[in-house]
Amino acid sequence: MKAYAKTALVLCLICACAALVLSLANALTAPRIKDYEDGVLKSALEAVSGGKAVGDYVPVEDNPVVSGYYPILPSGYILSLRANGYGGEITLLAAYDAKGVLTAAKLVSDSETPGLGKRAEESWYMDKFIGKGTDMPVRKNMLSASDAEAVSGASVTFTGVSRALLAGSMFVSMKEAN
Amino acid sequence: MKVKELTKGILRENPVFIIMLGMCPTLGVTTQVINALGMGAGVIFVLTCSNILIAALKNIIPDSVRIPCYIVIIASFVTIVEMFLHAFAPSIYAALGVYLPLIVVNCIILGRAEAFASKNSVADSLLDGIGMGLGFTLALTLIALIREVLGKGTITVFAIGGFNGVISVPLLKDWPVRVMALAPGALLLMGYLKAFFNRLSEKKAQNQEAAK
Repeated sequence: MKAYAKTALVLCLICACAALVLSLANALTAPRIKDYEDGVLKSALEAVSGGKAVGDYVPVEDNPVVSGYYPILPSGYILSLRANGYGGEITLLAAYDAKGVLTAAKLVSDSETPGLGKRAEESWYMDKFIGKGTDMPVRKNMLSASDAEAVSGASVTFTGVSRALLAGSMFVSMKEAN
Repeated sequence: MKVKELTKGILRENPVFIIMLGMCPTLGVTTQVINALGMGAGVIFVLTCSNILIAALKNIIPDSVRIPCYIVIIASFVTIVEMFLHAFAPSIYAALGVYLPLIVVNCIILGRAEAFASKNSVADSLLDGIGMGLGFTLALTLIALIREVLGKGTITVFAIGGFNGVISVPLLKDWPVRVMALAPGALLLMGYLKAFFNRLSEKKAQNQEAAK
């Protein structure tokens, strides 16, 4: 009994010390990480808005893919989308016109594999989706041979991103219809 | 304190080419030299710190829970590295992606904790951590350098001032050997380098035998 108590106590103490050190590291780094993430979001918004005026963020509660949107003035939307990638959740900003046609998109955060899924961060990656609406290519056989080759080795990332963009297009179409 | 503990990891017991540990990040992050350097720096920090702490606590940690204790210590150091890279070197943090948290389960770190730090002094464990970490970093950098030069025709290092950090290699920039930038290229190169280091080890053993 005494041996078990000692074992549990040592494990508890090590965990408590680890938690203390991590909380200190978090206190030191959290403000800088927040500034960095705000900067990334701001530059992504500027990139996808194409210089147009953007309204305030409107959160969306009941949608598994669309977490919120910024209205583009005079028409269109920039959606904040959640996609399922190979390394976890991918967050992206996607701009649509009033008909739900994608005009620009950019990854904001992801944990994809370097050299494979990470290629979705590069500017050329979204070109295959630009100009598409509900006809968004969500399978590799819907792409040209060169585009299919470009996403090979990262099918999960491609499927996650394309389905999120399709869901975004449908969200805009339904919103405009209402 | 033995200096050989520092030097053994660089070539004689190199964790990648000789012991063959940590293959997942070795093959995964070596697409660019900068990724290899960032990953290597993270591993040196985690390996050295965890080795020191585990050696210092070896008489306190009960044998029955040593692995959970090692994992808590290693995971804490990895999380600290992750937070600081995210805050102060976001481009390396983004480039390393999922491989950064995976340092927790890197066989080299847990392997050195179990095989060395838990049985040796703090000073020797410190040298072992630095040596093994340097050996891992050098191996990663060598693989990344060959893969990036052949596969992309570039060498990507840290951007300083007006220098954007990318050095272009003439000819290979326009006609790269693309397979080297992909996963099969990493496996092929790893095979050739392993054969080369095996040959070196065999030759050294033969010379020692002849000297006797």
